Amino acid sequence: MSAPSRSTVPPAGPVRSFDFPSVSRGALDNGLRIRSVQVPRLPVVTAMMVLDAGEGLLEGAQAGLAVQTGDCLEGGTAKRTGIELAEALESIGAGLSVGTGWDSTTVSLSCMADRLDEAMGLLSEVLLQPSFPEDEVERIRGQRLAAIRQRDMDPAGVATLASRRLTYAEGVPYGRPLSGTVESVGPFTPDSAWGFLEARYRPGGSGFVVVGDVDAGQVRALAETHFGDWIGAVAPRPEIAAEPRTRERGIVVVPRTDAVQSEIRIGHIGQPRSTPHYFPLRVLNTVLGGAFTSRLNLNLREENGFTYGVRSRFLLRTGAGPWSVSAAVGTDVTADAVREALSEITTLVAEGPTEEEVSAARDYLAGVFPLQLETTGQIASQIAELLIYDLPDNYYSDYRDRIRSVTLDEAHEAARSCIRPDEMTVLVSGDADEIKGPLEELDWAAVTVEAES
Amino acid sequence: MSAMLSIPIERFTLDNGLRVNLSHDPSTPVVGVNLWYGVGSRNEREGKTGFAHLFEHMMFQGSEHVPKNRHFELIEKAGGSLNATTWFDRTNYFETVPSHHLELALWLESDRMGWMLPAMTQEKLDNQRDVVMNEKRQRHDNQPYGDWDEWIQGMVYPASHPYHHTVIGSMEDIEAATLDDVAEFFQTYYVPNNAVLTVCGDFGREEALVLIERHFGGIARGGDIPVLPGDPNLDPVIGGTVRERVEADVPLPRVLMAYRVPPYTHAEFYAADIAGSVLGSGRASRLYRSLVREQRLAKDVTSFVFPLTSGAGMLLVWATGFPDGDPDEIEGALVAEVEGLASVTDQEIQRAVALTETGLIRQIERVGDRADLVSMFDQLFDDPERLNSELERLGAVTPEDVSTFVGRFLGDDNRAVLTYVLETGKSPAPVTT
Repeated sequence: MSAPSRSTVPPAGPVRSFDFPSVSRGALDNGLRIRSVQVPRLPVVTAMMVLDAGEGLLEGAQAGLAVQTGDCLEGGTAKRTGIELAEALESIGAGLSVGTGWDSTTVSLSCMADRLDEAMGLLSEVLLQPSFPEDEVERIRGQRLAAIRQRDMDPAGVATLASRRLTYAEGVPYGRPLSGTVESVGPFTPDSAWGFLEARYRPGGSGFVVVGDVDAGQVRALAETHFGDWIGAVAPRPEIAAEPRTRERGIVVVPRTDAVQSEIRIGHIGQPRSTPHYFPLRVLNTVLGGAFTSRLNLNLREENGFTYGVRSRFLLRTGAGPWSVSAAVGTDVTADAVREALSEITTLVAEGPTEEEVSAARDYLAGVFPLQLETTGQIASQIAELLIYDLPDNYYSDYRDRIRSVTLDEAHEAARSCIRPDEMTVLVSGDADEIKGPLEELDWAAVTVEAES
Repeated sequence: MSAMLSIPIERFTLDNGLRVNLSHDPSTPVVGVNLWYGVGSRNEREGKTGFAHLFEHMMFQGSEHVPKNRHFELIEKAGGSLNATTWFDRTNYFETVPSHHLELALWLESDRMGWMLPAMTQEKLDNQRDVVMNEKRQRHDNQPYGDWDEWIQGMVYPASHPYHHTVIGSMEDIEAATLDDVAEFFQTYYVPNNAVLTVCGDFGREEALVLIERHFGGIARGGDIPVLPGDPNLDPVIGGTVRERVEADVPLPRVLMAYRVPPYTHAEFYAADIAGSVLGSGRASRLYRSLVREQRLAKDVTSFVFPLTSGAGMLLVWATGFPDGDPDEIEGALVAEVEGLASVTDQEIQRAVALTETGLIRQIERVGDRADLVSMFDQLFDDPERLNSELERLGAVTPEDVSTFVGRFLGDDNRAVLTYVLETGKSPAPVTT
């Protein structure tokens, strides 16, 4: 090999093929769907129960019920106290991890492959025979109420919650905090947990995903042993009608005395997971604010130094989740940062991305796909998404081809369909006295200052 | 007893002093490229705090053959991820890319190791100073408890010690940084003989060796690395109980306690690590069991041992109380649990090792993290293979080792206590919704 000049970018070598790992599929007689992937690289396994038990199912008065029920699983089982359960799990190197979102609750653990049988036994105990002792439920409720207090004093959290509240009409679940409020969590008792468990922790509608150094036959046998006696099915998840609070432009300031930065959120209602624009939208959002070299970040950070970083996200759920551009910026440059962000968004929708940008975004998204599948936990999470959103089994086999086939026109169409600059709400949490005037001078929309909480 | 790790590692040294590790794993067509430079906040002189981190930002502003933003553009277009972090003892830079882009990552890393300075301008420095000041505001100044590290490091390490100041540094020092500082720092520390390069993942061995020599081989060796500023030597213990009480706009009271512990490079560190895990790792840990589950004094608890190498590391524990909680009571409970570590059981040690084992295996599932660990063991211990035996050292710790460690290091002659209380006049109010 001769040494080329340093001045030219080195050419890529021959591409090595990558296929999404082969997924074995099956189901138990009780309806529990089983998905497993054998990854023999390291002696570790991730097991994940995916329950159709998200917060999106709940009325506002019950907000936080799914989260609380998941948290209370650590309180113990019919056979063990909470402390004994923790000791049993941790003595085999396994930590129980419960994740509750709008569309699901996942209960998972990772362990060394030779401890899988014991780990599955414990996972089964936790899910099928929890005990929800009054004393532990009370403790975990108290921890949650304190966490809500923390959440409501976290600058970024406050801004995000205010933005959600301003995005959705009254009564739409996505407008409220995922883990609920003091009022909705306050009345939580063991009976609340039992009620939710009875309704939503059922094999019919759930999925069990096991990824790692274990073969499909073993997984099947272990699932039969530990989850074969589980019975019942969940009622179908209802649709969520995600109505907006307003279709008018607006700038809302949430005052935070002495804030040294302003938290900015710009957006409106986005798209559901089932959006027909899924692949073009991934590409379009990468151009706008999904990567480091996106338009927003190059402008607000690398050109102007207004912020440590700015992102645009479409959160895709059963119903239409929010689209939100977020950044923390210096107080003195708040209005400048808002102006630049609005300008980038508006220009992208009006003129569309360039061919070069679309090409770079496609290459980025197709290229990073294998990087997002390095670990057993990552693979399990991706398969869980197929189960939660009823996506086809071959979804990931086609994923990179579908990203690569997105055209310039499709990306621009995604921008016009999914981003409506005249309906955006700009939320700024910060020092109201300093930022209100400059925001008004933008002359983009009326500026409302909320009462200090 | 835990399973042996057997991560393959081949080590080479280039003529210019660059240490190179290759760790092959063909299971996914991706490759991690990782560089550890032996420079961090401990190398900063008075008036220059935060500079190592600001410099890390400047490393992304281009080099002689790579215009500004091009590094990010090329890696992202290649379908890769990249970042860098600055810490007390080191600064690391890393890319994970599809395997066929290995040379791109090597070229980019070598260009900024060898040819960074021609691309530096005042405009770029001004821009990144603004970015870093906003980073400090976002992650520290605008966060409840965001200044804890400044307080704790100030109490645990004397003013003359390189760990006395934080990695992010002070606003004044960041603002005062000049292009001359950039040039001097680069020429002093960003030299091949102060760096470790690790390539991990799916690549051809011979090809990688040729590419590494091609891109890094021509970079001149630098001078010897200057001794650390200040005085890294210090007493093994603080010499008393020091305390600070901070009234702040925080949602909940919090008590943090820190102790000097032996450096990572000292054999006794492993007893400290086990003690830290028994104390605070997992839901069966002593702090969670006692303060959260039983006494209900704390909403959350944490413990962490800082694996530092200059003079002393640090064991940090904290507990966040409830709105009307009594910080003195929380402190008393923390002290009781820390001192109670003088007697730990074999079962507790076994659990700590088992949790660490699963955590380590999950970490090395990613080639980028695996490469980072290999670089770390090379940089800190001159022994990258140490990754494969790390669990054995932890597993060899006995209850007696922990007891000896606790007796020497976790008493009231070696304790820093930082208490956050709610600002007066801001007594707990009902939370708004």
